[in-house]
Amino acid sequence: MSVTEQPAPAPGPEPAGDEAAERLRDRISADSLTTRRDYLRIVATVSGGLAVGGVGVAAGILHRHGDSESMPEARKVTDALAPGESVAFRFPGDEDRALAVRLPDGTLVGYSAVCTHLACAVLWREDRGADGELYCPCHEGVFDARTGEVTAGPPPRPLPRIFLTEQPDGSVWAIATARSGEPAREALCRQLGDSHPEMTRQLGCPGAGRAAANQRGRT
Amino acid sequence: MSDQPIPPRPDYRPGSAQPRLNRPVRERYPQIRATSGYGDPRIRHTGPGPGAGTEQEPERSSKLNARLVLALTVVVGQLWALTVAVNEWMEGNTGTAWWGAGFLILSFLVVIGLWLLDPKDR
Repeated sequence: MSVTEQPAPAPGPEPAGDEAAERLRDRISADSLTTRRDYLRIVATVSGGLAVGGVGVAAGILHRHGDSESMPEARKVTDALAPGESVAFRFPGDEDRALAVRLPDGTLVGYSAVCTHLACAVLWREDRGADGELYCPCHEGVFDARTGEVTAGPPPRPLPRIFLTEQPDGSVWAIATARSGEPAREALCRQLGDSHPEMTRQLGCPGAGRAAANQRGRT
Repeated sequence: MSDQPIPPRPDYRPGSAQPRLNRPVRERYPQIRATSGYGDPRIRHTGPGPGAGTEQEPERSSKLNARLVLALTVVVGQLWALTVAVNEWMEGNTGTAWWGAGFLILSFLVVIGLWLLDPKDR
């Protein structure tokens, strides 16, 4: 018998005493005791779960919002975008929410509209800040509209960028993406890869000459 | 002075007048143990008598506490490593994310080791 187990009280002479003792015994046995050994076992189980989660993350179990390994198909965002206005669209996939913004000075910027904190929707707020801000209302996360960097709140990473281009007729097209904090040149080199050797050579991507040689060798 | 007889003094009994509330104590202050604290190391199983029910091996309890605290610290480190791994993977640094996964697995092995030091400890 362990120290936590108490012997049953001796039966008293009167039935009332018996009943009280029985209630007391019930109450004591209803308390489920978690010992330190149990805690150690629980902690080991949690630790194993975290290790499995880490392997899953590294193996790519999470969806990287607004990312594409290869060059995505260009998509028309809108026919025209006036300064101070924004438009929501989906790019590169149909599940990837994105946002195109024309800043007051005419600059065209595009970002994934999925907050890097807990994946809430990011909104364009022209009335906030000097240039306007990208604002996540869930936990007051704020991103710089010009760079996508975090300026306030809990988001751990900048917003993934979306490269936009404007046609002479004023229509806005989304053509490529960049991951959080990834330089534009690296992002374009990664997505252009072997499929556009001319463009990679123009950009000066590492390995562009080799890729072009391989292309010539194949043809 | 009245010449009424003095009622007899009741017998002194330690504890309550209700027998069901009394433990079978034979001392006036049963909570005070003659050998509180470190017990006689030769005694492995306590029976009735002075020192019964007290901790016989305080070091065993301390070791268990230390193992638990170390394991909890490692798990806190694992939580931190998981956030780092998620951040790195989201930024496209898959290699760094695999390093994070390796760290998480090593930490898990440390916790398992702490548990296996003495899983049958009572």
